[in-house]
Amino acid sequence: MTALAEPGAPALTQRASRRISDGLAGYLFLAPWLAGFFLLTLGPTLASLYLSFTRYDLLNDPVWVGMRNYERMTIDPRFWSAVEVTLTYVLWAVPLKLMFALALAMVLDKGIRGLTVYRAIFFLPSLLGGSVAIAVLWRQIFGADGMVNKFLGLFGYAGTSWISDPDTALGALIVLGVWQFGSPMIVFLAGLRQIPADMYEAAQMDGAGKVRVFIRITLPLLTPVIFFNLVLQTINAFKAFTPAFIISGGTGGPIDSTLFYTVYLYQEAFGFFRMGYAAAMAWALLVAIGFFTALQFMSAKLWVHYEE
Amino acid sequence: MTSIKMTRRAFAAGLGALGAAASLPASAQAARLRMMWWGGPDRARRTNEIIQAYIKANPGLQIDGESVGWGDYWPRVATQTAGGNAPDILQMDYRYLAEYAKRGALLPLDGLRAGPLKLAGYNAPDFPCGTIGGKLYAVPCGWNSTAMQYNVTALERLGAPKPKPDQTWADLAEWSAQVTSMSGGKIAGVENCGWNEQVLEVWVRQRGRALYTEDGQMAFTRDDVAEWLDFWFQLQQKKATTTPDVQASSKYTPETSMMVTGKAVMVSLNSNQIVAYQAAMQDKVELAMFPQGPAGSKPGQYLKPAMLMSIPARAKNAEASAKFIDYMLTDPAAAELGGVERGVPPSTVSRAAIAPKLDELAMKQVKYVEYVSGRVGPLPPPPPQGAGEIEKGLIRINEQVSFGRMTVPKAADQFIAEVKAALLK
Repeated sequence: MTALAEPGAPALTQRASRRISDGLAGYLFLAPWLAGFFLLTLGPTLASLYLSFTRYDLLNDPVWVGMRNYERMTIDPRFWSAVEVTLTYVLWAVPLKLMFALALAMVLDKGIRGLTVYRAIFFLPSLLGGSVAIAVLWRQIFGADGMVNKFLGLFGYAGTSWISDPDTALGALIVLGVWQFGSPMIVFLAGLRQIPADMYEAAQMDGAGKVRVFIRITLPLLTPVIFFNLVLQTINAFKAFTPAFIISGGTGGPIDSTLFYTVYLYQEAFGFFRMGYAAAMAWALLVAIGFFTALQFMSAKLWVHYEE
Repeated sequence: MTSIKMTRRAFAAGLGALGAAASLPASAQAARLRMMWWGGPDRARRTNEIIQAYIKANPGLQIDGESVGWGDYWPRVATQTAGGNAPDILQMDYRYLAEYAKRGALLPLDGLRAGPLKLAGYNAPDFPCGTIGGKLYAVPCGWNSTAMQYNVTALERLGAPKPKPDQTWADLAEWSAQVTSMSGGKIAGVENCGWNEQVLEVWVRQRGRALYTEDGQMAFTRDDVAEWLDFWFQLQQKKATTTPDVQASSKYTPETSMMVTGKAVMVSLNSNQIVAYQAAMQDKVELAMFPQGPAGSKPGQYLKPAMLMSIPARAKNAEASAKFIDYMLTDPAAAELGGVERGVPPSTVSRAAIAPKLDELAMKQVKYVEYVSGRVGPLPPPPPQGAGEIEKGLIRINEQVSFGRMTVPKAADQFIAEVKAALLK
């Protein structure tokens, strides 16, 4: 402590050494995280990049095959049906989920009594939604003898087994995805609270109707929050795995109608032991997600309105 | 400051304890074995009882049993084997045995036969199924064969006849359509078995061919597949089978089985699985052979090891593992606990132990295996790499036909193309 008070060169070197030891202490405190990052994240990530250029079946050593795994993707029909299923899911589930989340956030923002209770209830599906239990429940609800068909039966309509009909299975999964609207809803709710009340008052005085207020005030001021939700939900939708895996029993069926990209990746890796191909697929997914996220960021300049 | 000192002391003590654990004598460490198997709750209960009985007789030994579903089992075995932490005792399937043995992942058991792995009551014909390249890599737990299982209580309720024990494909078509119509369409006579590679295998074997040759090439023809897909599509059109959307909700587990969920009277399985499937339903289950080919056909079915026991190559204490396997497969007490859930025991000692205590369900299985024994062909060579993918592919191709997305000839062409591609890799 006294060193700091003393002027001159010795103090400077002491200060420098102190800075180094401060830095060292910082890194020491960071060490657990750094160790985790290098050993559990960066290491395996680089290993998977290497494996993507090999043929590897877990039991034998990896064999270098160059670009062959990436070339195989271009001619693998199941790969392309997985891409199609995943894109369809993203294009439907993300916008529907955001609309649903925004609508409910606006209802809750009206200052109804027991808001916290409703907020908790609406958030509940998001806590449960990605879980195995809910996927199993979904199978019961949308199965041949499930709740949906019992309900339709009341009106004399005999429904199909929704989750095991290739025409409707993906739809049931989209509904399950949309149902987990909790986290974007909370973010929207916070965003709505940020909009200054005097803007609404001013608009009201100018005689603007509800729709006009929504389009001219709420939406533009909410665009940063919409953008945030859009980016996160799109990334999550690309990575969706558990519901499709559980509901289809790991097959992605019937007829690959729920063969999400991640489910196919899992099948190739742990079903058919083509770790190299699966690693290549994982990298392709990373690039695709990066591409779509970059696209969203570029488009943001056109429609996201930052009030500064 | 004192608190820090305390912590340091505790920390030092902790380190000491860690060191002590690391320097435990090897024998004490190896007294803890891990065993892994696939199967349902009934198998888990029986196996854990066997383990408990063994531990009681061998104090100081610990065996941790891990019960895993069939679908998750092989990914887990493969990852653990790759990671060098395979269990000490491994339940093996004939389908995967050659693959694991050829890659050096399993321990040859011949050296242990003189010592802990005596296998009392096993006979010469019991060993070829576990032998690869002249070395014994696995010991069969029990014999079984493929079997149709049917809900006999449902047939009684409908007043419908039982299927003939030696029914032909034509008999099955007629009988199942009759059952569906007698139920007023509420329950189908038979599930759409077009998905089931095991039934397809019997179909091609009856025609004098096989799924795969000894060297892992395709051994059936496009026409075999086309006629196969057409057979099941015709049955579906006649409403003799489950509808495609209902059939697709089967996830090949007892709880989702078309028979257990009451969607079909008859399903295609293995004979030992009657224990697990009967445990999942109230109605009584019976066994019947897969349908026979027309006169002059070859036998399609064969006796096979329901599952085998093996020891991974890097097992810490192969002697101890072998000793437990020997107990499980030949000790009378273990035989009583295990029953015929893993198939009919090969050991005459085990058979003698369970014979007086067989319940009705076990009797059905034993009688079935006896009945089938006189009507079987030879055990086919183990399936090649890629066979697992083909098995899954058949499910998809049959769905293409049953949902009306593809005509039979087109589906047969595509299946053949997929088989060739899968066997190339």
